Amino acid sequence: MTMSGFRERPSRVTIAALATGVLALAVAPWVLNEFLLSLALTCLMYAGLAVSWAMFSGATNYLSLATAAFFGIGAYVTALGYESLTYPVSVFLGGLAASAFAAIVGVAILHLRGAYFAVLTFGLGELVRHAITFVEKKYSGTVGRVLTETPEAATVYLTVLVVALAAVAVCVAVRSSRFGLALAGIGADEQRAQTLGVNTRLVKIGGFALSAFFAGALGAAMAVRWTYIDPPAVFNPFIGFQTVLIAMVGGAQTVAGPLVASIVFSLLTELLRLQFPYLFLIILGTLLILLVLYLPGGIASLWTRKRAGKRDG
Amino acid sequence: MAEPVLRAEEVSVHFGGLVAVDCVSLEVGSRELVGMIGPNGAGKTTLFHTLSGVLAPTSGRLVVAGENLTGRGAHIYARSGVARTFQTPRVFAAMSAEENVRFGLEFAGRSRTHAHDAFDNAASILGFLGLADSAGIPAGELTPAKQRLLEIGMALGARPKLLLLDEVAAGLTEGEVELAAALIRRVRDELGLAVIWIEHAVRVLMKSVERVVVLHQGRMIADGAPQDVARDPAVVEAYLGGEAGGEA
Repeated sequence: MTMSGFRERPSRVTIAALATGVLALAVAPWVLNEFLLSLALTCLMYAGLAVSWAMFSGATNYLSLATAAFFGIGAYVTALGYESLTYPVSVFLGGLAASAFAAIVGVAILHLRGAYFAVLTFGLGELVRHAITFVEKKYSGTVGRVLTETPEAATVYLTVLVVALAAVAVCVAVRSSRFGLALAGIGADEQRAQTLGVNTRLVKIGGFALSAFFAGALGAAMAVRWTYIDPPAVFNPFIGFQTVLIAMVGGAQTVAGPLVASIVFSLLTELLRLQFPYLFLIILGTLLILLVLYLPGGIASLWTRKRAGKRDG
Repeated sequence: MAEPVLRAEEVSVHFGGLVAVDCVSLEVGSRELVGMIGPNGAGKTTLFHTLSGVLAPTSGRLVVAGENLTGRGAHIYARSGVARTFQTPRVFAAMSAEENVRFGLEFAGRSRTHAHDAFDNAASILGFLGLADSAGIPAGELTPAKQRLLEIGMALGARPKLLLLDEVAAGLTEGEVELAAALIRRVRDELGLAVIWIEHAVRVLMKSVERVVVLHQGRMIADGAPQDVARDPAVVEAYLGGEAGGEA
């Protein structure tokens, strides 16, 4: 594990490149065709999910599989508020609901580590899914909800872009803050961090809730893409696994790693799915195994390694 | 005497049926340098865990600078002025030495006043320890001896009033042990801290401190000046009777 890049200031070239990139992303709805725009949307969604996941789980080494739960909660805020809330308000409230849920659950489970934490967070998605199914059947007399009038594709795209950019900005800010230092200390040695004055419990709950906000907001924003919302669709464990994979393949200790990986991964998935519809999961799985075996630090380790080489030479 | 920095009142720690610390009472005043010895398994480290809030005592009370902190978290102890090291250095391996020291300064040491300018910043603390040259090196790449020093540096970053040192000289050569002892005296004399120092190198420890506490099977069997403690029949019995060669 490496913490290099921690508290590093971005150079002017990086900032210029970022500005150009953001501009290019912002005009995409008027340039790209429907298929490419939908592909870009998927990239952005996973970028936001993976970066915010890495902010907490990458720094603290608490492997959370709760992304699907947060995402689904956000989506259900949109579905339930469909008639009364405007789209941006739904997105914001979806984030808040996921955040509140993460904080409450975090109080109960953030003392667990390793496999126990991972399994429990995975169970959360299932728990919420079944709870919503039960409540909907019992009290609303329905198994799913139909969203008839949804915002335009460009609106959805730009909203997801804003949320993803906010996630990146917050992650960068957190990494250079005391809060980020505390999270990194928890990841390195939690008890040692506590004996040096960090209220580890509070920091973990705060980090977990902050990271959940973006997953919830993205769920709320993406919900309108489905015209029919039911629990199996929005509490899809695949979203959680995919997020973790992207962050890890990219390098969970960095911001840039998950960003790059989310693009590579989404494009690769799409390409393989179209070219090799029957083999695509096999090829994807093999690639993953190779990556984990030969690039355990993630894609980000490619350029940190290069930089370290320069320093030594 | 003014309010002691630390007061432990009849502290006991039970692990299931095992009594690791048995009704220990201890007061440490400001600028006191106290050595703590005892055969392996005497409960020294467990007692340190309770004194630093890492482990809540099964019974008894812990008062730090006049405030009852029994059952509070370790971060509260750190913020109240108790800092500690661990037997096996637990430095943040991927962070530089300077970042390791700054960690304590950013949290427990942040709002604490400090009398000595050695506490000003991470660089001055590293300078005090003679680690200035290692500031930019990742902690995990330092030699074990330097990691032990850095472990002390992290604790000093918390700007404590009381420093708990758990075998900081373990595994060091005889010359290095002497250097560590000199450093610990400077921590008290120059920085004005109270120190409790656990060490297996009893001879060096006895030379360096003015008060020794002896633990045996979880109980405190002696507390006094080194020369008196060394002649105490109960201490001699604990060392020679149970575990000959405990002075390894």
